[in-house]
Amino acid sequence: MPESMKSGITRRDLLGKAYLGLGGLAFLDVMAAESLRSDPLRARDQQLPAKAKSCIFLFMEGGVSQMDTFEYKPVLKQYAGQRMPQAANTVGEIATFSAAPNRVIPSYWEFARHGESGRWMSELLPNLAGHVDDLAFIHGVKVDNNNHGPAVYHALTGNQLPGSASVGAWITYGLGSENNDLPGYIVLGDHRGSTIGGAGVWGAGYLPAAYQGTIFRAGSTPIVDLRRRSGISAGQQQAEMDALRWFNRRHADSRTDTSELEARIASYELAFRMQSEAPELVDLSGETEATRTSYGLDDPVTEPFGRRCLLARRMVERGVRFVKVLHGAGTDRWDDHGNIEERLPKHCREVDRPVAALLADLKSRGLLDETLVVWASEMGRTPFDNNLVTPTPGRDHNQYGLVVWMAGGDVQGGESFGETDEFSVRAAGDEIPLRDVHATILRLMGLDQDRLTYLHEGRYKRLTDIGGRVIDEILA
Amino acid sequence: MPVVGATFADDVAPILRRSCAQCHSGADRASGFSVETVESVLRGGARRGPAVIAGHPEQSPLIQVLLGRAEPRMPLGGVLPEGEIHAISEWIASLEHSAVAGLGGQRTADLLGPPQRSVAPAVADGDWPANPIDAFVLARLEAENVSPAPPADSRTLARRVHLDLVGVPPTPDALGRFLEDDAPDAYERLVERLLADPRYGERWGRHWLDLVRYGETSGLEGDGAIGNAWRYRDWVVTALNGDMPYDRFVLLQIAGADEHSKTRNNYAPDPQGYIPAGFLRLAPWDRSNLVAAEVRQNYLNEVTTATSSVFLGLTVGCARCHDHKYDPIPTQDFYRFQAFFSAVQTEDRQGAVKRPEVPYDHPAFERLAETKIAQYKKRVEDGPEKRELEDLEEALRQRLIEVRKREAEGRGLTEKDLRLELRRDDSLLFSGSERRLHRRLLDAAGRTNDPEEQEALKAYEARLLVRLKRAHELGEGDLDRRFEALTVNDVRAAVRASYSADRPFSQEEIDRHVELTGTLDVFRRRLARWEPVVLTVRNAPGPPSGPPLPPVRVLRSGDYRQPGKVVKAGFPSAIGGHSEPAEMFTDRYRQFPTRGRRFTLARWIASDDNPLTARVMVNRLWQHHFGRGVVETASNFGKNGSGATHPRLLDWLAVTFMERRWSIKDMHRIIVLSRTYRQSAENPGAARNAADPANRLLWKFQRRRLDAEAIRDGILHASGGLNPEMGGPSMFPPLPEDLADFARYGRTGGLMWEPNEREEDARRRSIYIFQRRSLPLPMMAAFDAPVFSESCERRSLTTTPLQALSMMNGSLVHEEAQRLAARIRLLVGNDPVLQIETAFETVLGRPPDSDEARRLSRLEGSLEALCRVLFNSNEFLHVE
Repeated sequence: MPESMKSGITRRDLLGKAYLGLGGLAFLDVMAAESLRSDPLRARDQQLPAKAKSCIFLFMEGGVSQMDTFEYKPVLKQYAGQRMPQAANTVGEIATFSAAPNRVIPSYWEFARHGESGRWMSELLPNLAGHVDDLAFIHGVKVDNNNHGPAVYHALTGNQLPGSASVGAWITYGLGSENNDLPGYIVLGDHRGSTIGGAGVWGAGYLPAAYQGTIFRAGSTPIVDLRRRSGISAGQQQAEMDALRWFNRRHADSRTDTSELEARIASYELAFRMQSEAPELVDLSGETEATRTSYGLDDPVTEPFGRRCLLARRMVERGVRFVKVLHGAGTDRWDDHGNIEERLPKHCREVDRPVAALLADLKSRGLLDETLVVWASEMGRTPFDNNLVTPTPGRDHNQYGLVVWMAGGDVQGGESFGETDEFSVRAAGDEIPLRDVHATILRLMGLDQDRLTYLHEGRYKRLTDIGGRVIDEILA
Repeated sequence: MPVVGATFADDVAPILRRSCAQCHSGADRASGFSVETVESVLRGGARRGPAVIAGHPEQSPLIQVLLGRAEPRMPLGGVLPEGEIHAISEWIASLEHSAVAGLGGQRTADLLGPPQRSVAPAVADGDWPANPIDAFVLARLEAENVSPAPPADSRTLARRVHLDLVGVPPTPDALGRFLEDDAPDAYERLVERLLADPRYGERWGRHWLDLVRYGETSGLEGDGAIGNAWRYRDWVVTALNGDMPYDRFVLLQIAGADEHSKTRNNYAPDPQGYIPAGFLRLAPWDRSNLVAAEVRQNYLNEVTTATSSVFLGLTVGCARCHDHKYDPIPTQDFYRFQAFFSAVQTEDRQGAVKRPEVPYDHPAFERLAETKIAQYKKRVEDGPEKRELEDLEEALRQRLIEVRKREAEGRGLTEKDLRLELRRDDSLLFSGSERRLHRRLLDAAGRTNDPEEQEALKAYEARLLVRLKRAHELGEGDLDRRFEALTVNDVRAAVRASYSADRPFSQEEIDRHVELTGTLDVFRRRLARWEPVVLTVRNAPGPPSGPPLPPVRVLRSGDYRQPGKVVKAGFPSAIGGHSEPAEMFTDRYRQFPTRGRRFTLARWIASDDNPLTARVMVNRLWQHHFGRGVVETASNFGKNGSGATHPRLLDWLAVTFMERRWSIKDMHRIIVLSRTYRQSAENPGAARNAADPANRLLWKFQRRRLDAEAIRDGILHASGGLNPEMGGPSMFPPLPEDLADFARYGRTGGLMWEPNEREEDARRRSIYIFQRRSLPLPMMAAFDAPVFSESCERRSLTTTPLQALSMMNGSLVHEEAQRLAARIRLLVGNDPVLQIETAFETVLGRPPDSDEARRLSRLEGSLEALCRVLFNSNEFLHVE
């Protein structure tokens, strides 16, 4: 037994141990109050070999219509304006809806094959279509609930009820962060307003608060309270910080058991560095004109999401572990109950160039190998009009029709897994529960769903709850 | 080295449980070997005997099978990662060195039995104990050859007990009075003053709100308010301040308004009981879910889980889908427990079940509420914003009429035109009875998705449309006037029409409309908050006035679509000892068959005979005084919990609690007057106590960071900015400007963060901050105070740079530093020496020493800077 163990464990000892990544995580959870306090974001080894070091999670709020984007369903044309046959094996709201006298709406848009993989893509995402050979698709994913609120929670925290830890929190808990001067888990919110669940869907849930996502705002001071107050000069703040350090030092030196006191002294140094690091991060003036244009910063339609995608690249470049990029808020989201003919193209345009540019940019910098990019929404949509009192046709929620794609890391580009029936209502074969997608994301980040646990309320909680299947069909 | 039980629980048990428990646990333990407890591992199995040889991992059968040195290699068909084997080896190696074996110890079986009255043990240093708590703690320390710390000095102790009991540090005056008090009972009297201080209820009420997942919004789509939860919050504060016996406190939260009153007519329950019963309705709530059965089942699961973990420290949630893996809680017991709530009705989507009105029980408050209600009613119905909105909407309506008229030119008539014409009272074309029939069909078709209703509407409209078209061709019926049937509802729909391509209004008009409706909405919300309607649950009436209650069934995999066998309400067999149905308290004539179920459960929980209730609560009290409970996992007294470090002490506390008629304040008194509590955070013998670095044995007071509320309240308190008003609707401290976008729900949605009724509301204590589940205040969230969706028995205490940022740059510290500086100047003028002295006394409760005075006087120019440094200091942010 090492000498240090006999004389009392120190945090460094613990965190430095080889067993940390394994028993260590379960170990960490009970030790959380004592040990993690001092340096919760310290980088930790992966549990399983994986290329991806960071994850960019693109989340489209509202429910992206799969049969107008990623799923080519020619049969819808035959049934245009007619009732579709009752979908088998559906329960809950979607069953009710499909039993109602709803009329099938064929897609308004043309589909064509792209890339070597020959994947069908609609004309709404022309730029993304150029990257299909880098993407692996999962079709017919089932979400636990047919309403936005619980479905968003399910997609982002693994549980349709509020209170659980978000995907990013789990990954940051498992791996820490590579950059000490920035938060390990950053959320790039939509400029139009708050997403469903707000802090609840990027929170730490029962995990320690250090793993919650930090919201980055548009503008030069992305983090809340990052900027010095007006009227306080840099010199003045420096003088105050010096005095504080001196005062805290003296305080700690006259005491024992000071690891937490030391950690707080260090946290002020970090915060001070963050004040210069974070503005540098969001200052895009160093990017070439070509890069800025590729992300669509020259066009007011694509600028907001383009900026967020470009920021996401700059973040993973700097070792931020998890970046969640949100699109859609309030009524201006992918929830196309009505007038899908005009609404969907608008949202597609907002994201198409930026996402394509992100993939191309990561690739050209050699970052795509070590970055997992995930595209998800909280549900799919129905092939039929939803009979709401809307003047123009649109599609209803479909908890069985979610499409997720991934790229980067160990993802096998050009692959796809799962398939929906000819109406795009639900998986034609075995059901793919959302937890399988979560298990796959963890696996791609080098984490094992069985070993990434946290004891809470008498249970070892994990992201995938009762356990998901890693979809190895899409892994390289 | 950590002590045996703790290490086993912390890093060995999880591995064994994960990799071995599938075969080696429960009744069918393979080879008779079970990995469930430290004892069972030490005992080993039938084949190899003890699995562990203390101090010798390499010789221990457990390690040998894991390494494959003995056959068959375990786990079957797999290999444990090296690191995990290493961790188990470390633990085995430590067994010999451990001076304090068995510390982690007491497990479910003991904690589920009745608390034993225990006599304080004998100790060698008979002078040390001030009360039995000390004897239990010291006996343990002496057994491990560990010495307790000397007493804390008076200033430190005064600050500690203030922060603990009322949540803010003492003012210099209060501190001075205490320090000058030479009487031997000075500390006792200080404790009495603090326990009588109404701020006590605010401090301990906040702890309780964490536990009961207190929040004020749904947490889901739209994140709307769930109702006047603040009435529940105020009830908690008042109950704690009045030292309501804990058994009563529990009973009312589970069974408020479910009691059979002996004095009221018809045994009608006391409506005030609806307020504490709000406990049963505080969880997040998805109001957009249309599947009633799912909403209902989610509700029942949540309330079952919350009730058992909050009051009993039992994690029954696992048993929803399968028998509890670690504790003796079969799935059936989860649903038997749930059946106590089967009569509960929450308000429904149709509004058929209404929330009750419960009058304010304080006359002054009632008058205030009446004034507010009148004020906001007037503002909403006839205020300037309302009048402007009406004018704007009328102008927009005229525009809409023009636009629609223009659009209609040259195109054929559709059912849209028909529906407009049918809305007209003065239609020349359609009779009153035709219009009424159409209205009925339209309503029916809109309400349901029934194909027949739809077809009926379609058919009728087709018939009328023929007449409309003919009249149009003939130029009869003054049809152009149909557009006058457009109403403000059509205007509002057009303003919100994100689904529709045509927007007849300018962006400016839309913005103004959104702003006016948003402002009026705030007034409407304030109006609703002051109205005496409470968030609660009611009982379904049951026969003869209503349908019988549906039976409660065990659900397979917890799925409401897979009902299994019917169960009757009953107590968990692990505690009750049997699975028989519980005998219900009913009214004498059984007139109210649905009443008394929750009461029956509550009476069983809030009883001297329940082995868990008192233990769980005294442990929670202990936790908030010492930072850690006797059972560290305060809401899990089961096998997967930490067990108790001082089981006999816990029993003594529990028995004493019940003997003192469940008086919470008595327990505080006993705890804070103990010598254990009054120890210094520094122990000169600390080096000798290295075997227990986490201080589980309590050989010193454990220094800890303040929680978010104590930090915010402490700053406001020191600066003099704190608004001490108690109770009433929640308030909204200013949100950082950076978050302005997040303060709205989407572009056309309502305000997520509201202006306060009065500016000074923003400086009330933190317990009064509006608990919006999707938008916690950043500073509070940074300091580990999220808004709760699940019960939280113990907050984490992390250290992050975001905390530093909020303290360095946030508005609170800056504004209050300015306020404090101004106050100090007012008190002592411009003498820098006096200024520094006063700042230290006010913020830290002590004078500066000469080094500090010298060093900090150099701070560039300003007293404000000094105040900021002190607020940011570790000394201020920690209690010790």
